[in-house]
Amino acid sequence: MLKSQVLALRLLWRNWRSGEVRILAGSLVLAVAVVSCISVFTDRLESALTAQSHTFLGADRVVRSSQPIPSDWQVLADKYDLRTATKTQFASMVFAGNEMHLAAVKAVSDAYPLVGELTVSQQPFVTDKSLITVAEGGPPAGEAWVDSRLLPLLQIQLGDQIVVGEKPLTATRVIVDEPDRGSSFSAYGARLLMNEADLAATNVIQPGSRIGYGWLVAGDENNLESMLAELAPKLTSHEKVVDVESAQRGLARTLDTARKFLMLSAMISVLLAGVAIAIAARRFANRHVDQVALMKSLGAGCSSIRQLYGIQLLVLGVLASVIGLGLGVLLQEVIASGVSSILPVALAAPRWTSMLPGILTGLVCLVFFVAPPMWHLPTVPPLKILRRELAVNSVSFYWQALLGLLAMVVLVAVFSGDWWLSSSIILAMLALLLLVAVFASILLGLGQRLGRRAGSVWRLALASLQRNSRQSVVQMMVFALALMLLLSLTSLRTTLLQDWKLQLPPETPNHFLLNITPSESPQVAELMEQQNLNVQQLFPMVRARLTHINGEEPSEDIRKQAEMLRREVNLSWSDRLNSDNNVVAGEWWDHWREPGIAGVSVEAGAASDLALELGDDITFDIGGLTLEARVASIRTLKWDSMNPNFYFLLSPGALDEFSPTYLTSVYLPPEKKPFINQLLGRFPTVVVIEMDRVIAQIQAIVAQVSSGVELMLGLVLLGGFFVMWAAVGSSMEDRMQEAALLRALGSSRHRLLGSLWIEFALLGLFSGVMAAAGSEILLLSIQYWVLDIPLSFHWGIWLWGILGSALLVGTLGVLSCRKVISTPPGLMLRELS
Amino acid sequence: MLEAQTLSKQVTTAAGTLTILNEVSLCVKAGDSLAITGSSGSGKSTLLGILAGLDEPSSGQVKLHQHEITALNEERRAKVRADHVGFVFQSFQLLPGLTALENVMMPLELHGVANARGKAEFFLTRVGLNGRLHHYPKQLSGGEQQRVAIARAFASEPDILFADEPTGNLDSETGAHVIDLLFELNREQGTTLVLVTHEQRLAEHCRQRIRLEGGKVIERKPCEAA
Repeated sequence: MLKSQVLALRLLWRNWRSGEVRILAGSLVLAVAVVSCISVFTDRLESALTAQSHTFLGADRVVRSSQPIPSDWQVLADKYDLRTATKTQFASMVFAGNEMHLAAVKAVSDAYPLVGELTVSQQPFVTDKSLITVAEGGPPAGEAWVDSRLLPLLQIQLGDQIVVGEKPLTATRVIVDEPDRGSSFSAYGARLLMNEADLAATNVIQPGSRIGYGWLVAGDENNLESMLAELAPKLTSHEKVVDVESAQRGLARTLDTARKFLMLSAMISVLLAGVAIAIAARRFANRHVDQVALMKSLGAGCSSIRQLYGIQLLVLGVLASVIGLGLGVLLQEVIASGVSSILPVALAAPRWTSMLPGILTGLVCLVFFVAPPMWHLPTVPPLKILRRELAVNSVSFYWQALLGLLAMVVLVAVFSGDWWLSSSIILAMLALLLLVAVFASILLGLGQRLGRRAGSVWRLALASLQRNSRQSVVQMMVFALALMLLLSLTSLRTTLLQDWKLQLPPETPNHFLLNITPSESPQVAELMEQQNLNVQQLFPMVRARLTHINGEEPSEDIRKQAEMLRREVNLSWSDRLNSDNNVVAGEWWDHWREPGIAGVSVEAGAASDLALELGDDITFDIGGLTLEARVASIRTLKWDSMNPNFYFLLSPGALDEFSPTYLTSVYLPPEKKPFINQLLGRFPTVVVIEMDRVIAQIQAIVAQVSSGVELMLGLVLLGGFFVMWAAVGSSMEDRMQEAALLRALGSSRHRLLGSLWIEFALLGLFSGVMAAAGSEILLLSIQYWVLDIPLSFHWGIWLWGILGSALLVGTLGVLSCRKVISTPPGLMLRELS
Repeated sequence: MLEAQTLSKQVTTAAGTLTILNEVSLCVKAGDSLAITGSSGSGKSTLLGILAGLDEPSSGQVKLHQHEITALNEERRAKVRADHVGFVFQSFQLLPGLTALENVMMPLELHGVANARGKAEFFLTRVGLNGRLHHYPKQLSGGEQQRVAIARAFASEPDILFADEPTGNLDSETGAHVIDLLFELNREQGTTLVLVTHEQRLAEHCRQRIRLEGGKVIERKPCEAA
């Protein structure tokens, strides 16, 4: 190693030991750690959740069809080295002795499921995990695996026979969980899983039977995409490729919002760390002016100084980045191990690519935040050693700020992949900083006037603020910026968590009851009331086929895009609008007046597919009878709310003559699960769809993402603390000098402490007011433009933001100056000089 | 060793042009000593800065150890300082984050001197601070700090040593000790010494003395021509 490099390393070590580079190094480490942690964790989480979401499908992709899967598709899958399985689903009565029940039959090939776990047990209604095993595939030929509740319904036990169509099968296992249970609403009733080799012998599948076929595919994502691209021209209108996104819309939205939040956290932590780094670097540079002047007087040239400091910074940057990266990866491992118990799939191993943003952060911070304040050091004139008053030509503050901003835009854009978002956030902050500068000057002026009339401690504090007004304004800008970002993030996290909880609140209906006849409906309602179950509205339901729009058959174009024209749809009527429905065009029934014709409210997506407009007439065929209805309104609705929802809602009474059946949803807590058997025992034709496992899975994921969000917030808060510390520290020498002088002149300890506390608390208070205002504006903008969640006002940030800021900054200030109180003034003055 | 001819220094201020040095000439032979005295604002420190190559004159020439430093750029003047010059300052100019030993080692390390540590220890022992090697400046008294600065200056074995008010921040007794030490080392090493002082006692230790007033030499002892 060259001598200059050894010397640079020695100087770095000495600077470290004397504490001069600690805030700088700490901020660099924090920036890299936070970004690495977020980047690696979200990458792993995203891969895991994508994999987890795939378990909702039982595969990476599923092609659903109403026709048998063509055998030549397998050739295509083999070509791309993909794994496949098939499933055939239908509802059928199953028999055991004299008992029978409508079951949701699923016949699967041996490879099923491709993704996720099929768990089974030898005991019905099992809760003991030790009795649950993971099946290595579907049931072998000749066997049937069934939902526990099918056993009492058919009055059989495991080992007994169940007849599906004409094929007797032996019930050998009960199903505890199947990965793709939630993916289809079409197969109602208790599940019966059988091998597809037995399917032909059942003789159930006849022309006209309502059968759902599924082709499950899994494998390398690129190969999958290539295969699907090649398959696409072969797909008919009967077939549809289902991916995670379309299978789980609600979850996708939650994950997307969480990703955006984490990204915002990363951005904010980089911004905070950037500010802390810039302040620390500036302080470091100021403290090193004398050292450089001395070194130059001793004969060090400009280039050797540049080399000495360049090497120090480079080594510091690389070390901080490596430590930050290690810390970030370790930290995300801690989070990962904490949440792995709730995750249904194992987290993927960290990928090198996900560490790049962390390393990039270290480099960018070094080049844009650390280098500019130090750029002038080699040009410090050696004469400064003799003439301290000599000015040093440093890179102007504005250039430094501009470079810093540029770096922030680059970093934020890299994380978000969104230049528009990053530029607008940076511009908003710039505007805030300008406003803060103006208001801070006004507040300081006001403070001085008030101070003239105040007591001596206050006068001392206000005079000090005014005397250091330039520094005070800069400090207020930094405090306000840091606080604004922290308040926004804390508040946003609360809003988000509430929004997620609202999405699937604890008592979300988790069971759907279908096929309730009009005569049964009062009794079903009564039975549920006896059980203290909160019954949702009973919706009448009629199956119908849409045949004409405005008296004409739908065009070929419409047929292509509107899948519902190829099947029956459920019609219902309701006099009140569900809370998750929202009329976006036309009028709801209380304002709709069109005598002589039924009205229909159409779901917005369906209206768009069918090219329907308000006032259009549509004709439905209901079991050979015709129903005409006029489009009265268009609604948006949340399909993921777990409430019964319909594409077509008719005006009250419109369906009276079509003998509807009824549908409702109910929340059943786990301990009331056996109620289903009681209900089905009394009303055997009622169909129950169990969504509880799917909901529990989604809630677990939301809870886990929430805890990730909380942890990130903790890290960002730490970043904010660094900024505050750095900013308080930046003025400490001047303030300590003043305080030491005042002590020497006889000022009491009490008075000095009081004045220091007031001085910093006022700085904090003013900053808090501006931060709260900025934060409110930023939050409303983010809610509206970025996260697309309802707007809400945030009282908390005004109260806690202002009070907390005054307390925090006041305390930090006093703690930083405590030495001046505890050290004899003479000694203090000598040390400071 | 050191020769200055008609050195002048003017600076432009808001009030107009200010002459700080006015045609100062002097000559110091190798191993000789020169004291520059004068009241505050007489231009002593400015003259020292120019003689040592830390500053440039508005006109005139300085020749230091065969180098006409007034014709060199800062980078090359730095090289001359590195090879030939040592400093002792009024405010000691020790780096607060470094121990006494590290402060003395710093210029040696900067010049790539082998066994910087051993040399620094030797000179610190020579100035009587062998028990204080690992103390930080704030743990040392003013006199001790100046002794560290002297050790630092002599450790790099300069041909010429410039001292700016070396006893200015010390009480008279400590100052006297520091003066003795300075001249003792000066004799031992045969160093040329140029010092700025307003203390008559210190100036009298030097063979040559000039007194400045308003940037001009108003007295020169002994009265030989420059």
